[in-house]
Amino acid sequence: MSGDHHPSAWGPHDWRHGAPHNSWSPFILSLGVAIFLFTLAGAFKFGEFQGWGKVPLVFVGLGVIGFSLLVWWRQDISFGVNGEVFEPKSAGTPFQNIDIRKVALWMFLMSEMMVFTSLFSTYMRYRFGIPNCQTVFESGEWVEGTSVICFEPAGHLIASSWFHIAPGAINTFALIISSFTIVQALRYAKKKDIDEDVRRRKVTRYLGATWFLAILFLTLKMIEWFLGFPLPEFLHEFNHGDSSIKSLYAEGYLINADSYQHHAYDTHYIEAHPNDYSIPEDSALYAMMQAGTHPGGHMMADIQVSATTFYVTTGTHGAHVFGGIIGLSYMTLKAAKGGYTPDNAVSIEYFGLYWHFVDLVWVLVFPFFYLY
Amino acid sequence: MLRNRSKGAIVILVAIAAMLALPSAQSLPGGISGVQQSGCNCHGAVPSASVVASIDGLPESYNYSEQYELTVSFQGGPSQEGNVNQGGFHLWASEGTLSVSDATAQLYNENEVGHTDAGNDQVSWTVTWTAPATDRNVDFVLHVNSVNGNADGAGGGTSGDMWSKVTVSLGGPIEVLEAADPFVVLGVLIIVSASLLAITLAYVFYRKDPDAFDWDNFAPWLADWLTSTDHKKIGTLYFVAGLFFLGVGGIMAMIIRIQLAVPGNDFLTQEQYNQFFTLHGTTMIFLAAMPMINGFANWMIPLQLGAADLALPRINAMSFWLQPFAALLIFTGVFSGHGADTGWTGYAPYVVSEGAHYGTTMWAAGQIMLVASSTLTGINFLTTMAVMRAPGMGWMQMPLFSWSILIANVMLFLSIPAFGVGLIQVYLDRVVGTAFYDIAAGGDPLLWSHLFWYFGHPEVYVVIVPSFGIISEVIATSSRRSVFGYRSMVYALAGIGIVAFIVYGHHMFTSGMSPTLRFVTMLTTMLVAVPTGIKIFNWLMTMHGGSLVYRTHTLWALGFLVTFTLGGISGMFFPSIAMDTHLHESYFVVAHFHYVLVGGTVFGFFSGIYYWWPKATGKMLSEKLGVLHFLTAFVSYNALFWPMHRLGVWGMTRRHHTYFVTTEEALGSLPMEAAGWNMFITVSGFLFFFSNFILVFNMIASSIRGEDAPDDPWGGWSFEWMTTSPPPAHTLYKLDDGTWGLPTLKDANEHIANEPGWLSSWFQRLLVSDDETEEASH
Amino acid sequence: MAHYKILGQDPYWMNFYGLMILTLIEVLAVGADLVPLAESLGTEEKTVTLWILTIIAIPKFIMIAAIFMHLYGDEDSAILTMTALFPAFFILIMVLFVGLTHPDAPSSLPDWCRPGNYGL
Repeated sequence: MSGDHHPSAWGPHDWRHGAPHNSWSPFILSLGVAIFLFTLAGAFKFGEFQGWGKVPLVFVGLGVIGFSLLVWWRQDISFGVNGEVFEPKSAGTPFQNIDIRKVALWMFLMSEMMVFTSLFSTYMRYRFGIPNCQTVFESGEWVEGTSVICFEPAGHLIASSWFHIAPGAINTFALIISSFTIVQALRYAKKKDIDEDVRRRKVTRYLGATWFLAILFLTLKMIEWFLGFPLPEFLHEFNHGDSSIKSLYAEGYLINADSYQHHAYDTHYIEAHPNDYSIPEDSALYAMMQAGTHPGGHMMADIQVSATTFYVTTGTHGAHVFGGIIGLSYMTLKAAKGGYTPDNAVSIEYFGLYWHFVDLVWVLVFPFFYLY
Repeated sequence: MLRNRSKGAIVILVAIAAMLALPSAQSLPGGISGVQQSGCNCHGAVPSASVVASIDGLPESYNYSEQYELTVSFQGGPSQEGNVNQGGFHLWASEGTLSVSDATAQLYNENEVGHTDAGNDQVSWTVTWTAPATDRNVDFVLHVNSVNGNADGAGGGTSGDMWSKVTVSLGGPIEVLEAADPFVVLGVLIIVSASLLAITLAYVFYRKDPDAFDWDNFAPWLADWLTSTDHKKIGTLYFVAGLFFLGVGGIMAMIIRIQLAVPGNDFLTQEQYNQFFTLHGTTMIFLAAMPMINGFANWMIPLQLGAADLALPRINAMSFWLQPFAALLIFTGVFSGHGADTGWTGYAPYVVSEGAHYGTTMWAAGQIMLVASSTLTGINFLTTMAVMRAPGMGWMQMPLFSWSILIANVMLFLSIPAFGVGLIQVYLDRVVGTAFYDIAAGGDPLLWSHLFWYFGHPEVYVVIVPSFGIISEVIATSSRRSVFGYRSMVYALAGIGIVAFIVYGHHMFTSGMSPTLRFVTMLTTMLVAVPTGIKIFNWLMTMHGGSLVYRTHTLWALGFLVTFTLGGISGMFFPSIAMDTHLHESYFVVAHFHYVLVGGTVFGFFSGIYYWWPKATGKMLSEKLGVLHFLTAFVSYNALFWPMHRLGVWGMTRRHHTYFVTTEEALGSLPMEAAGWNMFITVSGFLFFFSNFILVFNMIASSIRGEDAPDDPWGGWSFEWMTTSPPPAHTLYKLDDGTWGLPTLKDANEHIANEPGWLSSWFQRLLVSDDETEEASH
Repeated sequence: MAHYKILGQDPYWMNFYGLMILTLIEVLAVGADLVPLAESLGTEEKTVTLWILTIIAIPKFIMIAAIFMHLYGDEDSAILTMTALFPAFFILIMVLFVGLTHPDAPSSLPDWCRPGNYGL
């Protein structure tokens, strides 16, 4: 069936001009996404896990998506390998003589800007609309044992010590370095006056380095969110004697945390550790405690909205990093086969644009979600 | 290998048929579903024909609220006088109330009685049944157990017992037909429509080559359609899908109109009604209007630009295929009877509450896929129009339909991420338990309103602007002159595109949003009518300066001008916050948006169908049927939606499943005439719905035996008319020198003077000139 | 690829160093005790921190966009920069209308930043 005139819709693409472009991947990818969303909603309902029996189906959905990506890649991997590259350039103003796919990528980035703007707007709306937990604590308008709604920014936990900031800071460096390595990969792919083999190795190494840094980013994020990390002995004294840095999860910063407590909002703890925390003398709480009208205690807070905006925004960024990892997997593989030559090196540039955008978003997310 | 495929197909069909045939269990209010099927399990499991159960004392038909003394008894089986235990019974009545008069029977609930310990050694019992107060179909199901009394025997005394059952039905003084379940009606109609669609497609394949009608040829043909990235095939796919869902949305509308035909109707409960208007809105906007726009755009944009295909063909295919699967997700709710009941606007916090049906989660998930689809479409078309125009075709030489698709896609892909983020928030809230819209945790429902309408308002312009484009093309061709004021048309479109983003607050005037924003929005909304008005006057001027030829597409364009203008005028009552407070959520809104959406968008589509059908299929549509379609549809459409303005002013509320009329001026009730108008609207609705089948018939007839279409049946002069009807797989145009190839726009002076203004000059300096490309510098 | 040099060196390396330095300053700013500085300016430490973070984020953003994403110094930079900046209007609208109009937004925001709360 698959001969010269009917290139397969599953298999390697026929790059000759005028050949049909049929592909099974759009159909299968859409099917996979539908299955995934459907089964995910079956595995959880309003935050309640519905049992491990539902989980395999979610993986079926992911598997179908993965399969469609394999088909997509199988069709594309031969692009540019034999030197025949059809990278059309724009014909009309105002983008004339620019690669069409580059223009398309910038259009895509415009829509991604709107995605992150929406997420930031949500965060802004809630951050400025719900009173800050510190403010509420200091106002004294709380009673021990009853939850108050307040906004606890993740920065309160993360920016509390150098150790807590470490994963986020390392992640920032990692992304910046990865932005640099992807540029290096492009540079070597485009270089005309080097040996084929040298180019192949360099490009593969730089793409692989980018891939590795992206994985590192997600790993550190998981450590920050869920795992925490232990500290070596000699650092314990700088960490109030604790032997490990707790993850956000362990600190109780969860999307369903309606009775969150932190020792910064515990008057007894503050009294016992006056070097670490203090109640400002001009605050209402101080006055009330002096006057004896407030018994003090450990304030309980409903921080579901704070945690939600944090996890979903940084999680969306993380999902985009993950998408980049998927792309990088394909590209590293292709590079290892010597698939990138000066003719088709622009493909790396397109990915690079996406990757720099991810870095740009992180430049905004890091200070405003982790540090502020 | 193909036989395996046939076997596979048969297996799948058999499996589907088996699943459909599975019996379903009936559950009772008391929750004892087993009793109906298999008798009372406490006494063994052997039904026997030798046991005969009977109910005495029931009349032929009951009188309202009368009490009847019933004797339930049985004969036969191992039960004997002198046994310690002789028998038992269970009686279920679907309507009315049961009661007991002695200690031998007990009442489980008002629909079920059974025996007691004290009463299990007899073979007949008396119970009392009170008939319902209204006309009902009543079913009685009696199970009896004939017990052989061996209390010491196997199974705790149950071995050897036999049971039996009898069913009796009766009605009241007036015979009642069984009420139709609206979801069953909808489901059946959808399945019927889908089957008809499948049969039609198979028939189309057959007609192409009757001799080659076998699986060997059908599988590759189908695979080609499923995997194609050709803009023409994808355009057809979008179009067929869009038309199908237009019909499905219409079916939902008809069911809604049946409910509203008379006051106090109970065909749909409020709960069911909520699902119907939600799905009607979502289907019409996202599964009918948007795909049909994409169908026209996919077909015509590359042709009009003189491009070989879109910029990203495989992504284009992806955009399409996300849609049918999204539709599957959205409709899972319908087929389960628990569809989304939040309104197509899905307001928070109801949309994330446990009270909203769980179809809402799938409704959100499907729409997330549609957001992805629209984003990819936007990127594709923007890129194509920016980079793949024919040589000589500058921005200001593009046809107006292309401009309209450009502006629509700019609005779409910049606004839809807000909707996507909102939907993801809703999906996460409902699935993972995040707290975006959890009021108790401090969530803000207005956030959803902002995100939704930030998208929602540009969205309604997205659906109307392509119709503007179609109308420009049609009126120009029909008037045999180019559109008056091309430049102002372009600027008006661009103006609509930008201002659309700052008017969305007018959907939220009564929501308690910021007062300053309300004021700003009032002004901007009044402003946005101006560019549209400019367009309408330009169309009128085009016709005035031209010489109108009346074809069906012309008629639809003229109809559009009338109905869209009326819709626009009725819309101008809403910017005034004071008026909006009165008219919000009334039928005035319904009238307004149906005038602009159906009278605007859909009439534009009809015009486009009659205009471009010959080009796309190579066959002419019948003009006679077209005129008939126009006359019946246009008249019935206006009869359908015009009276809704009056109903809205009287105060008839939208999204309520019923309404009441009264001769007094009570709040919440409508005057007596409202009932008559509603019936009139329902009848007109049915007429409008069925009149559109004339178009469907026209399309089918044209495909089978329509006359062949020339390259340029209407005398149009944009690029699509320079190629054959239908265009070849790789589009080729007939050039001036008689050869076939890709065209250039030679005479660029057609529309405007060619001297660049200061904006163009400044822009020129930003461009990459031909001799400065990377290739040249390396 | 960039055809210019920064301080006589390869622009990508220099950009990389610059970004690392700015990030370091960012992290240090958060860790440092800025209360005396805040008091001398008459605001809270939180506000000073926020200003510093914003002021550093802007050049980082521009450096990545201009140098890594080739929006400076390439022949197609001009038009692509216009493309990248096109959504600015829409972003501003969303931030203004959606992000800053919470009815309970406390007075910690300056008036000009709160379109919804002019005491109406």
